[in-house]
Amino acid sequence: MMIAFDRVSLALGDFALHEISFTVDKGEYFFIIGPSGAGKTIILEAIAGLHVPDQGCILLSGRDVSQIPPEQRGVGLVYQDYSLFPHMNVEKNISFGLKMHKLPSNEIKQTVEALLSRFGVGHLRSRAPLTLSGGEMQRVALARALAISPDVLLLDEPLSALDPTMKEYFIHELRTIHQETGLTIIQVSHDRHEILSLGTRMALIMDGCLEQEGSVGRVYESPVSRRVAEFIGYENVIDGVVVSSEGGECLINAEGMQLHALYSIPEGRPVTFCIGADEVIVHPHGAPAAVHENEIAGIVTSLTQAGYLTRVRIDAGAVLSAVMIREMAEEMALKAGSLVSVSIRKKAIRIIGQK
Amino acid sequence: MRLEMADKEKGHVWIRFKRPDSCLLAFTVIGSSLVIFAFLALATITVTQLADLPFLIQVALDSRVIDSILLTFGAGFAVVGILVLLGTPLAYVLARTHFRVNSLVEALIDIPLILPHTVAGIMVYLLFMQRGLLGAPFKEIGIVFEDAFPGIVVAMLFVAMPFYINTVREGFQKVPLHIENVARTLGATRFRAFAMVVLPLSKRHIMNGCVLAWGRAISEFAAVIMIAYYPMIVSTLIYYRFTTGGLKESSAIAFLMILASFSVFLVLRVATRYLGSYDDRV
Repeated sequence: MMIAFDRVSLALGDFALHEISFTVDKGEYFFIIGPSGAGKTIILEAIAGLHVPDQGCILLSGRDVSQIPPEQRGVGLVYQDYSLFPHMNVEKNISFGLKMHKLPSNEIKQTVEALLSRFGVGHLRSRAPLTLSGGEMQRVALARALAISPDVLLLDEPLSALDPTMKEYFIHELRTIHQETGLTIIQVSHDRHEILSLGTRMALIMDGCLEQEGSVGRVYESPVSRRVAEFIGYENVIDGVVVSSEGGECLINAEGMQLHALYSIPEGRPVTFCIGADEVIVHPHGAPAAVHENEIAGIVTSLTQAGYLTRVRIDAGAVLSAVMIREMAEEMALKAGSLVSVSIRKKAIRIIGQK
Repeated sequence: MRLEMADKEKGHVWIRFKRPDSCLLAFTVIGSSLVIFAFLALATITVTQLADLPFLIQVALDSRVIDSILLTFGAGFAVVGILVLLGTPLAYVLARTHFRVNSLVEALIDIPLILPHTVAGIMVYLLFMQRGLLGAPFKEIGIVFEDAFPGIVVAMLFVAMPFYINTVREGFQKVPLHIENVARTLGATRFRAFAMVVLPLSKRHIMNGCVLAWGRAISEFAAVIMIAYYPMIVSTLIYYRFTTGGLKESSAIAFLMILASFSVFLVLRVATRYLGSYDDRV
């Protein structure tokens, strides 16, 4: 076990973390997610030693580090704004940590050269950080953090300030770094795409409390609460009641919709379930469907264009959100008032707080 | 909008007359009265003095005048030295902590700003006179403030303090905490993070603080004469000559002081023009 939070409480001004516990194994790519102001950055800073918990303890490699200052923890930190030293050029930024660790100058030179070429910023070596583009700053910030060969790399929303192409590039870059070095990485993020592309496990923090911790797949498959489901991107979170149950399946009645789900839950129990917008399959009413599970009819109430996707809201008893390729929506000539059929796979119906 | 056409070799080029910004124009007219005021004050003394150049040179070569200017500038530099050593740490504490007591401390530092300087002079005198709370113990180790160089320095220090501390505190506040945090995760102790990151990033504010404090220190009169009429700093000398020798002699010294101060400021401005300029390059 690399990092463990054991009932950590920490108050900072008006803000507080309450009894946060989670563990991160060696070599994991761990995500901390949560709404703005939930305390994610404070958790990273606490791991780095910049805040000392009021209660509980933080373990690094099994050792309580509460009394160890940041400079002795061997933890790399990259902030969202990169926080490069504006008064030092790129080369000096990268060598800063090595100088602080008093390494011999030829060793410093070697490491810095290796990092400059590894991150493709050799030609920028004597540039001032504030003259660099976002992507270049990001690379320098990563090189600087990795220079001290940390055991753990902490990334605070590192990709949020980049344009979509650069973001894709850095997702690939971070995956490569993770594979090459076997580093334990903890990243704060809002972005579902980053989490699903990179993460092995994740923790969800809300209002200073830990809401859920687990493998990325598990958190997305079975969110523990309505607000977790909503936060991780489920657009359909619906209340219903189990009306019958047999052979590992149950039938849920939700505002007139009858839906089969792969759960054995006793009859009469109220449930809340979630369905991803991409899992609500829309097809023309009366036309043969590709998926023959949970077929229901509904009326389109609104359409919103979002790039190459179209978001469709359908009244099928409960109001469902669906997302489809724009071309498909145009092909079907969908408009408000259109009568459509919707099908939802049984396994796409995830009952909150179950399994 | 009025458009006029001008012929050029090939075809026509339209010259557009832009409507002037009426707000800026009006404010320029109003504001220029202050510029004129400052300019006239400077021009009057310059013209009067240059009219009688031999007399000006005679005054300039007077050893009492030279000593007095050197004494004033020297005391000013001593004040700046003390402020750099003692004021810098205080400014950092005020910039990085958010205790309730901070606003009390800041108010205390600012006191000289809102007091008549004769009052500041009385306060300094009471504290540093030979029977004073600090004057007495210092007398034990042989340092006397009354009518002595140390007296000039403490009086100047008291009035110049807020200029240095407020400017430097602002500079420290502008250094993002994240940058300091990163330096620490990279292996810098708190002191090294301060020395390697915070201090260089605040260079410009520190320099500005020094210049402001120095300017304030050398211009002090009322507070200084309360504790140290002698040795005479320039302000005291000008006042003394004004009351004994009249306008002609005192204004000659005044003009020399203007020249000397201007030169020092000019040298400092040129020398520090590019200091810490990375923070406005974005």
